[in-house]
This record gives sequence, C-alpha cells and structure tokens, in this order.
Amino acid sequence: MRRLEDYGRRAVRQALRRGTLVLHLGPFAMQLKADSRALLAFLLSMYGACHATLEAGVLADFSLHVRAPNMIRRFVRRQITPDPGFYFPTVPLPRPMAPLALEMGMNLAVALQCFRFAIYHAGVVADERGAIAISAFSGGGKSTLTAALMEEGFRLLSDEFAIMGLDEPGLYPYPRPVSLKNASVEIVRAFAGAEEMSTTLTGTPKGDIGYRRARPHELEMMHEPAMPKLLLFPQFSLDAEPRAEKVEPGDAVMRFIAGSPNYHALGEAAFGSLMAFADSVAAYDLHYGNTADSIALVKDLWREHGS
Amino acid sequence: MSRSFLQIAVGLAPLPTGERLVRFIGWGRRAHILGQLATVWEERADGKLAEILANARIWAGHDRRMLSYEMNRITRALMGTDIYPVLLKGGAYVAKALTAGEGRRVSDIDILVKEDELDRVEASLKDAGWVADEGTSGDYDQQYYRAWMHELPPLRHKSRRTVVDVHHRLTPRTARLKVDHEAMFAAARPTADSALKVFNPTDRFIHAAIHICADGAFETPERSLIELFYLFADLSEAEAEGLRARAAEVGALWPVDHALWAISWFFANKRARSLCREGMFAKAFAAPVRWAIRAKVAGGLRAKAAMLLLYPRSHLLRMPIGMLTVHLFRKAVRSLSGSQAN
Repeated sequence: MRRLEDYGRRAVRQALRRGTLVLHLGPFAMQLKADSRALLAFLLSMYGACHATLEAGVLADFSLHVRAPNMIRRFVRRQITPDPGFYFPTVPLPRPMAPLALEMGMNLAVALQCFRFAIYHAGVVADERGAIAISAFSGGGKSTLTAALMEEGFRLLSDEFAIMGLDEPGLYPYPRPVSLKNASVEIVRAFAGAEEMSTTLTGTPKGDIGYRRARPHELEMMHEPAMPKLLLFPQFSLDAEPRAEKVEPGDAVMRFIAGSPNYHALGEAAFGSLMAFADSVAAYDLHYGNTADSIALVKDLWREHGS
Repeated sequence: MSRSFLQIAVGLAPLPTGERLVRFIGWGRRAHILGQLATVWEERADGKLAEILANARIWAGHDRRMLSYEMNRITRALMGTDIYPVLLKGGAYVAKALTAGEGRRVSDIDILVKEDELDRVEASLKDAGWVADEGTSGDYDQQYYRAWMHELPPLRHKSRRTVVDVHHRLTPRTARLKVDHEAMFAAARPTADSALKVFNPTDRFIHAAIHICADGAFETPERSLIELFYLFADLSEAEAEGLRARAAEVGALWPVDHALWAISWFFANKRARSLCREGMFAKAFAAPVRWAIRAKVAGGLRAKAAMLLLYPRSHLLRMPIGMLTVHLFRKAVRSLSGSQAN
C-alpha cells in the first residue's frame, strides 16, 4: 500500500475534501474528511509515512469529519470541531487549531467505537523483549516518558491507547504522533530534534500543544503486536527523588481499568485478557522530577523484567 | 436507494461491493444497525468488512448483557410483590431470543404494569436504587408525565446509569388512538427464566406497529422497519391470518395497516401485501403519511420535507391541539430561559 507522502499534495487535498482519504494505521482504517489548510499541512508532515488510500470505495472502521460547528462559524470567526459521526460534546476551536481537532477526533473515534480490542489509556513502547505500558492520568508524564523511551531503542506502539487483544494480552500498535503539552514540547524537541516535531499550537484549551512524529520503522512494524512485560504509573513532580515502588497486581489492574473507555462493555473476553496481562507484567509507580531520572528508572526495571 | 439497502440489511438481497458497499456500511452505521447487519452477514464477510461487523457484534453483545442483567435486577426489585410486568420492545426480543433482538442496540428497558400497580412499582424500583432521571426530574416534566403520559418519567439507576421506562398503557392518556392494553396484558405469557412476561407474537407485532406508526415521528426509520420485518416474519400462518382481527379488537387497526404496508413496500413482502385489505377511503387517508415515510427512508432533502409532516403529526397523535399549544409554549419558555427547574 502507498504511503501518504507518495501521493501529490493536490490529490491528498482533494481526497480529504471529498472524504475519501483513509489512513491505514495498525488495526484501524480511519476515513477523514476536512477542508482545512492547517490540517492538510499537519497530515502531510506528521503522517507522511503512514499507509493511505485516496480512492472512494475503501471500507474504514471509523470516520472523522473535521468541520465547522455550524453554518455561521464556517464564515464568521471561523471555528472547527471534530465530528466522529455520533454526538459528543467537544469545544469548538479556532480554525488554525484543526490539527488538535483531528487528533482529538481520532482519539474519540477509537475510544468510543472500538470493541474488537480492549482499550486502556496508556502509552506503549516495545523492543524485541516485549512491551512497556505507561498508564497515566493526563498530565502525569505519560507522553513525555513515551517520547523519551523512543530515543532509548524502543519503538512506539501508541502514545494514547494500550490496545489489547480479547482473550490474549498482546498489545497492538497504533503509531500516531505523540501529543505533548506545555514544557514537554521543548523537552522532547531537545532530544528528538526539531525536524521530528510539528509546529507548536499555542493557547489551546489544553495549553501549548506539539506533536512528535512516529518514525518510519514504527509504521513498518504496525501489524506486529508485543507482549507486555512492564506496567508503569509515572508520577512526575518537580524535584522529586527518583524511586520505583512495586504495585500489587490487583491494584495495578484496577487502576488500569479505570482508564479504559470500553472494558465495562466487553465482559468476559476483556477480563480474560486483562488477567493474562496481570500475570505477564510487573507493575511499578515511578516517582521522578526529570526525564533523565525517569529513563534511568525504566532502564533498571527493564534489565530486571525485560526478558 | 435505502429501500434496496433495507433488503440487503435483512439478507433478502446480496451484499454490494466497492463504493456501494462503503455507502451501505456508512448507512448502517448512521442508522445504528451494524450489529443487525453483523448477524446476517458476518459469517460471509472477510477482511475489513468482517472486522467492522465483528466490532458491531461485540458492541451489541454489551447491550444484550445489560438488558439481561437489568431484567434480573427488576425482577429482584419486585420480589415479594405480586407484580409481574410485561417486557416491551427490545427487552422482550432479547428475553425471547428473537431475530429482531439479535445485534439490536438497546439503550433502555421498557416494562408495562397495571395502572393500579404503578405506585408500588415506582416505590420498589426507588428502593432498589433507581431515581428520577436528571433530564426530566423538574416539576413540570414530572407532573406532565404523571398526568398525561403512558409511562412514568424515566427512572435511571444511580450507580449503573441504566434507564427503565415504566409504562401503564401503550399510548399517552391523551392520544387519539385508544388501545385496549388490558386485553393485550391479559394475553401476555411468562418468560422461561424470570418473573417478567412478554406479549404473545401477534400482540408484540401490534405493539411495535403502534409504537412505530402511531407514536413519534419515525425518527429511526431503518431500525423500525427492520424490527417490523423480523417480528412479522416470526408470525405463523395462523397468527398472520388473525393479525388484523386482533388489531381491530384492541383498537390498533390503522397502525397495523401502516406497518403491513411498510413491510410490503420496503421488503417486497408478498405475505404482508396479501394481508393489506384497506378500503379506498382508508388508503387515501393514509397516503400522505406513507409518502412521508418513504421520503424519510430515502433521506436527504425529501426526508427533511417529510419531517414537516411527521413531526407535527407525532404531537397531534399524542395530544389534542389546545393542549399541544400550551405544552409547546411551556417548553419554549423553558428553553429560552434555559432553566430546567420550570
């Protein structure tokens, strides 16, 4: 299948306007429709290596229309909002923030409409030994740690979702850009390099937002699941002494479930895979005050558990 | 186009390919019937289509479990009373494992009790954790439901967030259509594994016809038509023959005639057509509504035009015009003032 960057800009723009652009990312095909220059530029820059089709007649798991919230806002003080095809209250954004609307919409579409997999709110990276799931509530440092581990020989599976099989605990890749907020944007830019980063969106409802691109080899391996070995709960606080504390499997699993949009809907199948997951991982709370400390902690744990 | 899609949806016509397949799946997704498409087509699908249908099947499985669990909780809440409610609509289809229930998305559970049992049912459910749903907990809505409707204001369980609609009749007190729900209640049968009852197949079809054709504005045409089609298919020859007589007996002949027409028109169903025995006058009277139903199913601008007829009709069916005026005025004032407490 061709990559998005293999098509001409004009062809991509037309397909995006018609709503026939389909991104094929890991287990999901996402149909996109939008008429926004900011969004087109973001897509070409951040999803260039992603498999894509432009012609009509390609089935997709989800569809997302990034559009004006109403007729007036198409023309006056123009705004934009993600429409995943079902009602969901979202804050309309000024048009230049279309990339944020796209990313939020793609998250929504998966979180609320995927039932073939159990979904948990977590970043996931892996190497040949297995996968590390980084669970966190927003602002805990999940994305920064995920991006940092990408520089340490791990491949990105997902920054947002641990996508777990039903009846088996393998984690499936969904390698989209890593979403970074505020101070994290500059931290990641410093070690990943400016050319790997999107333009920073300033003054969004979530503060400043920047994205770190998924790399070509991560997209190459997007159909290769990884077995989870480590489950981390990062807790960043300024000047904290670095330490890792073991979390009992029962507690870890209950905390992990709390971040799932669909666990409750899946019944026994999700319970089965989560129990297998609990058997295959060691879980830790990570306390740290800077990225270097967090990486050192994870490396130590990976020496012990990554086998 | 939607007429052919409906026939594909229930397996009467082959699955399309290419762009038409993408349109068909998009149509099914918007109509919330992918789970029902899955029960017909998943075994014969492969690739992305199989994944999409599997996803929908698993999703509908959740609704099914939720319904079964809520039936169990309702039975439990009423334990020790001598009240045996009738499960209506989706709940009954799941309890009886009917085709109409397979893959169907369900958001709430509807039960019918006798009017003199209403207070005790409400008290029992409230003891078991159900409370007035926030959306209709204001005084006006509470009073309105109790005075004029065919059901209690919706009850939402405070921890499970599931909704029960407790009906004591099948159409609002103020509705034009007077249905003999007591005769239908008397003919209801117990289910195998709970204290809840269900209507017999004929009455089940009649109730669906009332709900779809004589109450509401045909908001979910695809879902409704598929429901009618499957319920009709479940009737034995004898039951189908006796359908219109029973409908006349309980005072629901014209909704049933609409339903038979719809099944015959949208699914090219010969048996339904052979049962359509309306006179010229009734046919002429029904023509505008049937045009609107066809337009609604076709979608697009015609569907919007159809709503100009169907929406006022839905209100006029529910209440006399004077009452409607006052009600709409109250609602308008409330929405303008943005207050729920009115």
